[in-house]
Amino acid sequence: MNSLERIMAAVTGNDADYQPFTMLLSLYGSSLIKCDTVKYYQNPNLWFEGQKAVVETFDPDILISPFSFALEAEAFGCELAFLEKYAPNNKKPIITDLSQIEDLKLPEMDSPGIQYFLEATSLLSGFAKGTKAIASPIHSPCDIPALLMGLESWIDTLLFQPKYVESLLEKTMEHFVRLGNEFLVKGATFLIVPVNFTNPLMITENILKKLLPYLEKAFSQIKGPIVVHNGGCILQPFLKYFAKLPNVIAFVLDPREKFEEARQIIGNEMVLMGNFDGPGFARLSPDVAKNICLKILDNRKSDKHFIFATANADIPYETSVETIKAVVDTIRNYRKY
Amino acid sequence: MDKLENQRILASLIGEGEKDKSVDLLLEWASQSSFKEVIFNILEPLLVQWGKLWMQGKLSLAHGYLSGKVAEEFYLIASKNEEFMNSKAKNKGTIILGNIEDDFHPLGRRLVNIFATAAGWNIIDLGNDVPAEIFVEKAVENQAKIIAVSAMMFTTAKNILKIRTEIDRIFLSDKIKLAVGGAVFKLRPELVEEIGGDGTADNAIEAPALFDSLLLKCKG
Repeated sequence: MNSLERIMAAVTGNDADYQPFTMLLSLYGSSLIKCDTVKYYQNPNLWFEGQKAVVETFDPDILISPFSFALEAEAFGCELAFLEKYAPNNKKPIITDLSQIEDLKLPEMDSPGIQYFLEATSLLSGFAKGTKAIASPIHSPCDIPALLMGLESWIDTLLFQPKYVESLLEKTMEHFVRLGNEFLVKGATFLIVPVNFTNPLMITENILKKLLPYLEKAFSQIKGPIVVHNGGCILQPFLKYFAKLPNVIAFVLDPREKFEEARQIIGNEMVLMGNFDGPGFARLSPDVAKNICLKILDNRKSDKHFIFATANADIPYETSVETIKAVVDTIRNYRKY
Repeated sequence: MDKLENQRILASLIGEGEKDKSVDLLLEWASQSSFKEVIFNILEPLLVQWGKLWMQGKLSLAHGYLSGKVAEEFYLIASKNEEFMNSKAKNKGTIILGNIEDDFHPLGRRLVNIFATAAGWNIIDLGNDVPAEIFVEKAVENQAKIIAVSAMMFTTAKNILKIRTEIDRIFLSDKIKLAVGGAVFKLRPELVEEIGGDGTADNAIEAPALFDSLLLKCKG
């Protein structure tokens, strides 16, 4: 059984040879090849070398194309702050006045920032040759505004400026659909859509209800499956809404969330993923990491629609290889089926 | 005035996103009692309660933003009321407050302003994206003993080190204390020392206590 077949078994609820898993090792590839992170996040070939090292070292079932939302925002014109041993951050919002929304230009698919993502996805897809699932992270159309104008300004706009919400989301939806479908053309098996700013820790249920029609419209135009990712926050109070969105097949849960509760909300057919804290990896010894992993595996032993995954952001650059390997070995040696 | 019932009514209105109605209701209650009564018995207890719920992940940032906007508007009106201003806590001193250069996340700063003002501090709020030298310049100009700086991300938090350097350069480390805050310091507590902070608070509610403790460390 190859990795893709293992993942498809989880989607269809069939037995696999072992528990399928993935980890967010986008940044960690640069650690494995001892590469300057500034160059790594600018050169898709370097990024690809890092991911080949990830496959050689850990062999996850799902490979994840570049995870850097700051780079996606850069394609809109945001300035980046590059950091040693970290993924880049956005420096300043580009929308400082609502009147600027009208003139906001969407990134072209052949612009350097977008090409970084697409070329990296192509390289990954060519390398995997259909034997592994490839997931492409992409910003939700309802999250991009927070990057472009700052979170508080976006919340203010959502609360008090409905006209501007509509005009901005019309643009971000168009970008989401174009880039999302382009990822699929380049070989992505599915999209991962984190909801960093569209979750119960950021917005109220009333605000979410206003955003749902935009999410429905955008998701329905994607020509492939979508995984909703926790984005560093809990999902459960909003799960019932996300579960009804078109093309959504799976959720990555926060480490604080309980799979049993999520199952009660979404039923037994959709895929649950999670919920090992990715950024927390660096603080763990191999033994502690193994025990956390075992608890998750034991909890999901009878759940055939489960994929072990790290939640939240990237596994940190300085995490020891031994700690990650301890988790990978625990998964491979676990007798689930 | 049934404080708990009024807190519940206010919480419900704010939760529904009704900022203007919330401010109007607070004004109505103030006209029936006093600004002081409404602020100390209804508004502030609700803000403290919501702050705790937010810390526990039980309320959203949007709730915090809305309650902050309501409080800001009501405080602004209250500040024009002579009786309320006379009844406020004794002035503890001046604090220079702002988001460091390149930081555009004002929510935490605005909440700190609200809680510190209520606790008797005179706050000079410089806003977003403030260069290090302006913080120090304003502190010297206004004889402030505390500079309180907010940063949300690691990249912007590093700019706070420039304030530490500037304070040290003009030999005012004993007279001006540097309070730092923002999401990044909760994720990476070691950063407080790395960027030269004299202290931090987990949230806006706890900021006045931090300022009190830093004031005790000031000399002269």
